[in-house]
Amino acid sequence: MTTDADDPTAEFRKNQSWLYDSTAGGYVRKTAIGLTTALMSLFILFPLYWMVVTSLKTTQEIQQIPPTLLPVDLSFVGFEEVIYSSIQQGGYTGFVESTFGLEVASSIDIDVLGLIFNSLKVSIAAGLLALVLGTIASYVISRREFVGKNALMSLLLASLMFPGTAIMVPEWELINTLDLFNTHTALVLIYGAMTAPFVVWLMKGFFDEFPDSILDASRMDQCSPVETFLYVIVPMARNSLIASFIFAFLLAWNELVFALTLLSGDKATVPPGLLTFVQGFNTQWNVVAAASILVSIPVLIGLAYIQKYFVQGLTGGAIKG
Amino acid sequence: MSYADNAQSSYERALDRVPETVQVYIPILPVMVLVGLFILYPIAQAILSSFTDKTFLNPSEAEFVGLANYQEIWASAEIHQVLWNTFVWVAVGSSVAIVIGFVLGWLLHEKLPYTSVASAIVLIPWVLPRVVGASIWKFMFGGSQGIINEFLVQLGFIDEYIVMLGNPEYSIWPPIVGMIWRLAPLFALLTLTSLQGIDDRYYEAARMDGATPWEQFRLITLPMMRYNLAIGFLLMLIYNIRNFSMVWVMTRGGPGVSSSTLPIMIYRQAFVDFQVGFASALSMMLFAVLLVFSYYYIKVYDKVQGEFK
Repeated sequence: MTTDADDPTAEFRKNQSWLYDSTAGGYVRKTAIGLTTALMSLFILFPLYWMVVTSLKTTQEIQQIPPTLLPVDLSFVGFEEVIYSSIQQGGYTGFVESTFGLEVASSIDIDVLGLIFNSLKVSIAAGLLALVLGTIASYVISRREFVGKNALMSLLLASLMFPGTAIMVPEWELINTLDLFNTHTALVLIYGAMTAPFVVWLMKGFFDEFPDSILDASRMDQCSPVETFLYVIVPMARNSLIASFIFAFLLAWNELVFALTLLSGDKATVPPGLLTFVQGFNTQWNVVAAASILVSIPVLIGLAYIQKYFVQGLTGGAIKG
Repeated sequence: MSYADNAQSSYERALDRVPETVQVYIPILPVMVLVGLFILYPIAQAILSSFTDKTFLNPSEAEFVGLANYQEIWASAEIHQVLWNTFVWVAVGSSVAIVIGFVLGWLLHEKLPYTSVASAIVLIPWVLPRVVGASIWKFMFGGSQGIINEFLVQLGFIDEYIVMLGNPEYSIWPPIVGMIWRLAPLFALLTLTSLQGIDDRYYEAARMDGATPWEQFRLITLPMMRYNLAIGFLLMLIYNIRNFSMVWVMTRGGPGVSSSTLPIMIYRQAFVDFQVGFASALSMMLFAVLLVFSYYYIKVYDKVQGEFK
């Protein structure tokens, strides 16, 4: 690590030195490493490639045997179907036809944009809920000593392991008792509860490192603790806060079990909506692939942002690099 | 002691009058209520339900039946199949994902350029919506036009396309492959992060002492990574055992129960057959396993915190 600072290309040379190893053993090693890399890349990347390629094929080409590795005639019919059917389901057919002069017709009846809208609503609300409650709690947990602190943190950590499949049945009953069945509020509360512990852990890690001298300075300037929190700490914690929010958002965006058991009809979010699509008879895979790409966009944007925080976030800071 | 300690503001004097408990516990309360109500309470509820014959059709008339649900689990051949499937899932899925992930993380750190871009790309399978990932694999494993059949034919393993998802003999494997695809990147990233955290000076010292690369790996890399690897290992187990979407999207646990794992069976018992009591008893088995895993997770976690502080 220290060498990097002195010589910017040191790491690159270190990484690449194996390529210039021309001893006999070197060639064997080079081939082995090259092959392993190729196989791994194929395994990880091929499904992604296949999704993109499939979304650009015509319906006939998809049924072709053997499958074509590249689309023979490039077609956006998958994306068209998805967007037109959303326009139809949303009741905007007349508007779009008269404004853009397009003919809106679709053979499917799933409102993908509507699903995306529902998911955005739930995920943003759940993310904010977890962020606000989690940050406030983590600040106190990090700065104060109190009875039961360790037990509390362990409990929160353990509660990260349980949600989902293990509690879907009682959760269904609870939501029914609270009269929240088939509402987005139910999902917001559950996803908030699932991600708040995680925000607490992540933000506690940040606050633990936060220098006391800055707090002292703000006390000198007569800030109240609340003002210090809002005007000094929050701006400095911006990156961690954004990362926490994105984690919570992504969990809500991807979650299937509760969305499947607690919602129905036009309240559905992306995962259960996509599921009915995939499990229907005569699935049109180019349309599925197109819809999949559309619903993955927020995730890819989020990934680009949180990559740096990924490991901390995933393990509540358990893995230190 | 700093200067600031003398500069007690009027705000702080006001704060002093608020009792300590209020200052500490009020900010924590909302999170505790949320987690308590939506995560801990349902767990308690499931424990109670598992001793009743509750169904979704008569939730109020449920009767206490003691251990009957558990006896049924013990006696049911179907459940035995499901438990065996779950075991295969966790054992095969985790170990393969760990091996692939470790090698991938090591390659990213040691051998490949553009580590940060490459690791972002590698992570895509993990962050992609689960249903999306599972759908791709369902399509690829398709019996009539699936690309995997074509691969296998080209490589000479089979003569003609075979049905994999709909055949009880094979149906457990496609979702496991999909899950390995999703989890291996995660383990790769954990490995990469741990490797990046090891100070180069250890290796320099070892080289001076004439350690071979294998000795360096065995005597420096592995010991330095042991807690991180343990956490990665536990996460693999936990994600595999709680997984629902990969199986549900690809096979719905069928045909029969040939590809069902514990979470799938819980869902089917509760939301297809409405047997809440029985499903809750099954949940208890999942709880028990998760409890053990989380116990070790927390233990390892404390060790990591201790080591790095």
